[in-house]
Amino acid sequence: MALPPPSSLYPTLFAATLVLVVGLGWASARDPESFWAPGDLSIHHAGRMACTQCHEPFRGATTANCLACHAETTFASQPDKPPQAFHRQAARDRTRCLTCHTEHRGATAKITTEPLNPHGEFIFRVTGTQSCQDCHVGGKRQGPKYGLLDNDAVRGLVAKGKGAHGPGRFADCFRCHAGGRVGSERGS
Amino acid sequence: MSAVERRALLVMALVVLAIAGALTAEWWLSRSPDRPFGHTQTGHVLGWGGLGLTLLVLAYPFRKRHQPGQRWSKSLFHVHIVGGLAGPLLILLHAGAHLHALIPDLALLTMGLVVLSGIVGQALHALALRSMNEQRRLLIHQGLPEPEVEARLQALAKQEETFRLWQVIHGPLTVTFVALALLHIGGALYYGGV
Repeated sequence: MALPPPSSLYPTLFAATLVLVVGLGWASARDPESFWAPGDLSIHHAGRMACTQCHEPFRGATTANCLACHAETTFASQPDKPPQAFHRQAARDRTRCLTCHTEHRGATAKITTEPLNPHGEFIFRVTGTQSCQDCHVGGKRQGPKYGLLDNDAVRGLVAKGKGAHGPGRFADCFRCHAGGRVGSERGS
Repeated sequence: MSAVERRALLVMALVVLAIAGALTAEWWLSRSPDRPFGHTQTGHVLGWGGLGLTLLVLAYPFRKRHQPGQRWSKSLFHVHIVGGLAGPLLILLHAGAHLHALIPDLALLTMGLVVLSGIVGQALHALALRSMNEQRRLLIHQGLPEPEVEARLQALAKQEETFRLWQVIHGPLTVTFVALALLHIGGALYYGGV
């Protein structure tokens, strides 16, 4: 036995849904990040980018859009921002930026994916190195010391840590260097 | 405690357990610092699967509306109930407790309200059915022929205001949820890529 719904139900329903969709569409055009973004942008991009500067319709964030800002000329004009050599090689190999980088994980989150570079961008800034291969053998994990080279960069970093920079404690810099400052905030 | 109260308590406990279980599972699956589980390929598949199961529930109200003369389909009703619980559970596993963007947040909220109103409606439906069956036995006992019994029960059902009021809430909420879910999917495909 079917109970007929009230006669005014469906016209009201249609009108209400239309108002909702139109309202949401208008509001999201004014502030798309609040309506669609899965998380806040990192400090590297927050406040500087519109969604469409990175995202192409139905294609996501594309390498071409990344390179609009992070171009060869940008690398050349900022020699103090590592790691140029690694990225120049990645560009020659046509590696997609999203293979290693991500976004929308919060203001202070790392934008390099964990398995590739557990240190984040911080490590290049404090060591003055240009690429993973400046400290690691082939840039890959090989054994308990993760293929560390015995060179000035590595020895200098171990010495700076005064025992804190040991095997198994090196990976996550922000465990101690919270906020990204060079000096350790823990215990000070 | 009456049987109805015991059953209501059991249903509430199962709902709380199911939600807690789905959220805990999603939290465990999102341990990787790179991305939440919902943004992985498996997470997306769960979202699509949940949507498919949820849309399956529309077969029951569709049949009731477009084939009103047909006998009540118990099997389709069970599909409606099971799909209406399993689908949203899969979607909850996809979404987790990550609340940031307004569109998916609203879709998740309306989905929760639809499920809750559905559980309330199932209780109302069971009570109405019991009342109808009692009336049927009474009328048959009075010696009325079958067509007369059906006609009187139809008239009685049309006067069941509680269930009609519930329909006004559950139906529109479902439409709102579907609209928001489609907006969320459209936005995810637009910004995230196909």
